[in-house]
Amino acid sequence: MPNPQRRRIHEHRRAGLMRNAARKAETTVELSRRQAIRAGLLGVAGLASCGALAACADSGGKNAPGSMALWYWSGGLSPNVVSDAVKRYAAQTALSSSVIGGDFKQKLMTTMTSRRFVPDITGIKGEDMASFFPDADQFIDLNTLGAKKLKPQYLGWKWDQGETADGKLIGFPIDIGPTAMYYREDLYAKAGLPSDPTAVSAQMKTWDEYFAAGVELHKAIPATYLVDNAGDIFTAAVGQGKQRFIDENGNFIGDQDHIRAAWDIAVKPITLGIDAKINDNSWNGNVSNGTVGSVIGAAWHASDIEQAAPNLSGKWRVAANPSGPSDNGGSFLAIPNECSDPALAFEIITWLLDAANQARGFTDEALFPSTPASYALPALTSGDPYFGGQKTIEVFGPAAKNVPVQYTAPADNAVSGPYFNELINVENGSGSESAWNAAVSQAKQIFAQQGLG
Amino acid sequence: MSLSKSTAPRMRIARENPPPAPRKSRKPGRLRRTASFWPQYLAVSPFYVIFLVFLLIPIGFSLYLAFTSWDGLGPIKFVGLQQFRFLLKDPTFWLALRNTLIIWLMSTVPMLFMSLVIAALLNATKRFTAFYRVAFFIPSVTSIVAIALFFSAVFSQNYGLVNVILHSLHLPTVNWLSDSWTIKLVIASLMTWQWTGYNAIIYLAGMQSIPPELYEAAKVDGAGAIRTFFSITIPLLRPIILFTVIVSTVTGLQSFTEPQVLFGSAAAVNPDSGGPGQAGLTLILYFYHEAFDNNDFGYAAAIAWAAFLVIVLFTLINWRLVARKEK
Repeated sequence: MPNPQRRRIHEHRRAGLMRNAARKAETTVELSRRQAIRAGLLGVAGLASCGALAACADSGGKNAPGSMALWYWSGGLSPNVVSDAVKRYAAQTALSSSVIGGDFKQKLMTTMTSRRFVPDITGIKGEDMASFFPDADQFIDLNTLGAKKLKPQYLGWKWDQGETADGKLIGFPIDIGPTAMYYREDLYAKAGLPSDPTAVSAQMKTWDEYFAAGVELHKAIPATYLVDNAGDIFTAAVGQGKQRFIDENGNFIGDQDHIRAAWDIAVKPITLGIDAKINDNSWNGNVSNGTVGSVIGAAWHASDIEQAAPNLSGKWRVAANPSGPSDNGGSFLAIPNECSDPALAFEIITWLLDAANQARGFTDEALFPSTPASYALPALTSGDPYFGGQKTIEVFGPAAKNVPVQYTAPADNAVSGPYFNELINVENGSGSESAWNAAVSQAKQIFAQQGLG
Repeated sequence: MSLSKSTAPRMRIARENPPPAPRKSRKPGRLRRTASFWPQYLAVSPFYVIFLVFLLIPIGFSLYLAFTSWDGLGPIKFVGLQQFRFLLKDPTFWLALRNTLIIWLMSTVPMLFMSLVIAALLNATKRFTAFYRVAFFIPSVTSIVAIALFFSAVFSQNYGLVNVILHSLHLPTVNWLSDSWTIKLVIASLMTWQWTGYNAIIYLAGMQSIPPELYEAAKVDGAGAIRTFFSITIPLLRPIILFTVIVSTVTGLQSFTEPQVLFGSAAAVNPDSGGPGQAGLTLILYFYHEAFDNNDFGYAAAIAWAAFLVIVLFTLINWRLVARKEK
């Protein structure tokens, strides 16, 4: 019998035309019992050769010298900076960059497992960074290449995110995602709320003050809700704490007070009726038609809002995140073991990500710099016309420096899933208490499952 | 006559005195004969090579993985039956199984029924037959991703066509992609829409092979259209129905693309979790989520093999149900 799952996965990426043929193939194989037995036996034989292959693959060597492949995703680095790097290092190596589409982590992992065509330098997304730590030995420890002396130029909390518990630096910081409150200045003013960024930051210092303002807003303009969905609030609230779902010793702490507090914060806009509950693909439409009065989001969220609502140019502003900033997103560059020339690769990375080039990354791709020195450069200090000429760095700069240091376990992302699922259930009418219990018990399940390794 | 008589003794002589040399070297001879067919073997080999590399080896490897713990990069650790033991206690697995079965029932039953009706109608049409057949078949060769994106737009909360129509009729609108039952309904209707025509064409082929004399005899006996349909068409179509039921079971229990596209992009933090309330989390989507989002390849393989067993079980049940009626 075919194990069609794998094929089905690939299938959906291919054209639907293939579907029909696959269907027929499955049926014919399904119908013949003898064939199935034969297939099973052959499968065992295949398995044996596979095991041998896996063993052989470990002896995969280094990439050929003289050239260097750089992998990133669209928007992961400034293409202008990358093409300058190609020219700058042309004498030493043939640097070629590939913008990898689709699921980046999956493609990187597949390539690294095959140990062929592994990039010499690769991007790693912030949310995936910790999940690579158990396999830190597949990457070059950047500290061995002299990364330590550059540490003072980068934000400390961000630097720590790329470092394993035993002090190996795997990821070199690209950008960060300090969060803030994006809000509709015109709607706040219409509802009689403070609308100037400084006043908003001052008067909505805490989540409670922010939600209270949201009640006013919704009362004055019934079509407008304060938050887009509870999950976004939960993400920000969890990010404000010192700890996440798993502690440094590998214990599950997702059932403790700090997560429960974040949960209660996220549930509050639902109970107050100021949550727009947007969990489908209608986010863009709801932003542009004024259903969403404010969004708690990272610096890169600005481009999402601009794209969703070009019609609202000049009407959005940015204020401080109530109860303090958190970090959401932001990525890294890493050097896999196969790299042909790690020293040169490291030099290229440090050039790509120095303060001046990070400022260019902000201009080109809204990548918020991890180098505080960039914050004083004109690229960041100039006003943003979409935000009514506001100098958003005045909000994001201090936020970037005040993001709390958090320990993120490799399984953190997987374990957090159920909380988001259950918050949607609360939005759809489930009780907060039963949803919380369900989230915790599912998270424990996933934690136990991940701990099997 | 004389010719056959004269050749007969000669043939007998030949049989009585077989040349001794070839007998000894029979084996190499057979090999040589096999080898002489090399162009033919070469011609069919691409299929078998591809089948081996992309199907059999992965199947074997996934069976092996189901007894291991592997994050996709590090060493593979053998854990015996632990993944399966965990699977039995995992509420999300049972939720996914329940979702899969409900969606399968909600799609397959109306789909096959409508297919029969459409096939009967197609069989009765006299004009534009080719046009109708192509029109009904087109959904099954359309990209499933495109269909899913289309459905997500049609059932969207604020701007979806369905809700706009409901609104204009002064009926309450429905959050199709938020509620646990409507999510399943949307996925099931998507599958129904895509595969009804395909099954109808298969039924049509079956109907056209039914001898017209039977219908004429029924007409003479005074049977109406409905009586004819249930007493002649359905019984004679049974083998075809068996085929479509099994195909629909195998594919219907593997629904993946539909919920993946409908709900995959909605949450960057928690992708492929099957939408609100995980109502669209099917077995294969859960497998995909564990493998490619959580990088838990061992557990994912265990889910895949559990899904395989479920599909085998339901295929056998269907087989027995439909085949018994045939007797």
